[in-house]
Amino acid sequence: MKMEVEAMSKQQHKHDVQVKRFSKAFVWAHAINAISFFALYITALPMYTEFFDWLYPVLGGPANARLLHRIFAVAFVSPTIIYLIFDFKGFMNWMKELVTWKKRDLQFFTEFVKELFGFKFKHVRQTFFNAGEKINSIIQILTAMLIIGSGFPMWFPQFFPRAVVQWGYFFHNVGFGLAIAVVVGHIYLSVIHKHSRPGYSGVVTGKVPAWWAKSHYPDWYDEEVKKGNFPKLDDPKHKKGA
Amino acid sequence: MTKYVKYVDVTKCDGCRACMVACKNWNDLPAEPTEFLGSVQSHVKTTADTWNVLQYIEHENGKGDLEYLFRHSSCFHCTDAACEKVCPENAISYTKYGSVVIDQDKCVGCGYCVQNCPFEVISLKEYKDKNGKEYRKAHKCTMCTDRIDEGLQPACVTTCHTGAMEFGNREVMIQKAEKRVKEIQGRYPNAMVYNPEGVGGTHTVYVLAEKPSVYGLPENPKVPTSAVAWKDYAQPIGKMMLGATTMALVGAFVTNKLFNKEGKGLDENGGGSDE
Repeated sequence: MKMEVEAMSKQQHKHDVQVKRFSKAFVWAHAINAISFFALYITALPMYTEFFDWLYPVLGGPANARLLHRIFAVAFVSPTIIYLIFDFKGFMNWMKELVTWKKRDLQFFTEFVKELFGFKFKHVRQTFFNAGEKINSIIQILTAMLIIGSGFPMWFPQFFPRAVVQWGYFFHNVGFGLAIAVVVGHIYLSVIHKHSRPGYSGVVTGKVPAWWAKSHYPDWYDEEVKKGNFPKLDDPKHKKGA
Repeated sequence: MTKYVKYVDVTKCDGCRACMVACKNWNDLPAEPTEFLGSVQSHVKTTADTWNVLQYIEHENGKGDLEYLFRHSSCFHCTDAACEKVCPENAISYTKYGSVVIDQDKCVGCGYCVQNCPFEVISLKEYKDKNGKEYRKAHKCTMCTDRIDEGLQPACVTTCHTGAMEFGNREVMIQKAEKRVKEIQGRYPNAMVYNPEGVGGTHTVYVLAEKPSVYGLPENPKVPTSAVAWKDYAQPIGKMMLGATTMALVGAFVTNKLFNKEGKGLDENGGGSDE
């Protein structure tokens, strides 16, 4: 009995161990990106579909909605700069991960689909970012480039040829249409999907539970253990049923 | 309903500008002080307060002679109007007569129509409300649809004293234009009917003395391909995609509840890792 209690408290203790996953720069960049993305989406939503025309009075009229859209547009451009300046190493690691694709990344997706719908699955060893996060990153980077790149001629049509402005509307539409479809999935996985929920608090505080980091990103975790940054978590309890 | 066309024979125009005055008068448009442009022409092009402008073009024809060309320029009232296609508020519509009009109550002043009109005839007017807050509305020629409703003709047509402009049944006006071109080809070998196909034909049809480009008009105007790709493909596909991902996630949420009732995971054994 006593041993059991000890084991439990030990496990409890293990659960409390937090490890640093994200730098302050990443946390800020991510938050500004998320907030400005949604502010941009909402301030332009009545332009996308008349169903949301009731938002105009809420936003202080069409002219005010346009002004707010431009303010948040500037904010939307800043995360990349913040991340680059304040955590260059983290930024480069992110880029490196995005171009590294191995067999394990493809295996990830078959297991991920099972997990998403609540079936039995097994974890495929992943590095700092898993394959799903990498796909999300790549799509968000591409769509942000489309949105920002087309936003300039839309905002300053007087400096661009007419055809560039006209195609700007098209690419702006394609950019946010694709981005929102992916963002919905991204948020579902972090806020609602239970296995990845610690990822949500992680992206706010920068810290995640060690056990969760080890199970979701074992390659990264083991590497950090080797460097002496993270505690070893080899409690046999953790391997139950594995 | 009969479609009507405003027929403009530029070769009969004497450049009196009565059409400009009549338009300002009927539509209550304020005068716009302008700079001297180097010719008799008053405005560079149509503006939010000047819905038609008389062009004065000094053109050297193929024989080395100088031609003084005039053209009453205003909205073409396209059959496939790019402005109507891109308007996000459905503020622009076709009337039963074939004219294209902007509902001032629905217009939010986004300027999409301004950027997409192949003839660049739409402009935004800046207003200030009683609290000093600025807002914008898109303006252009309405073909005097309010006059047509009352059985009258457009103000510019009514006032034209040379017979350069007429208003009537579409087919009749087009036949008239084609006949007129034949008559003047001896004097103007490049004369043509300007009723461009790329926008499905227009409801202001011209007899031009020279090629369209001489008047600064596009030779082959059309609804921009970008506008078609944007409004007919990108937008509906984007909405479908958002719907599809949302439905997939609702599905995921439900199946999770169904197949994973015991809530294996975080609280019990340290995460989804162990399953």
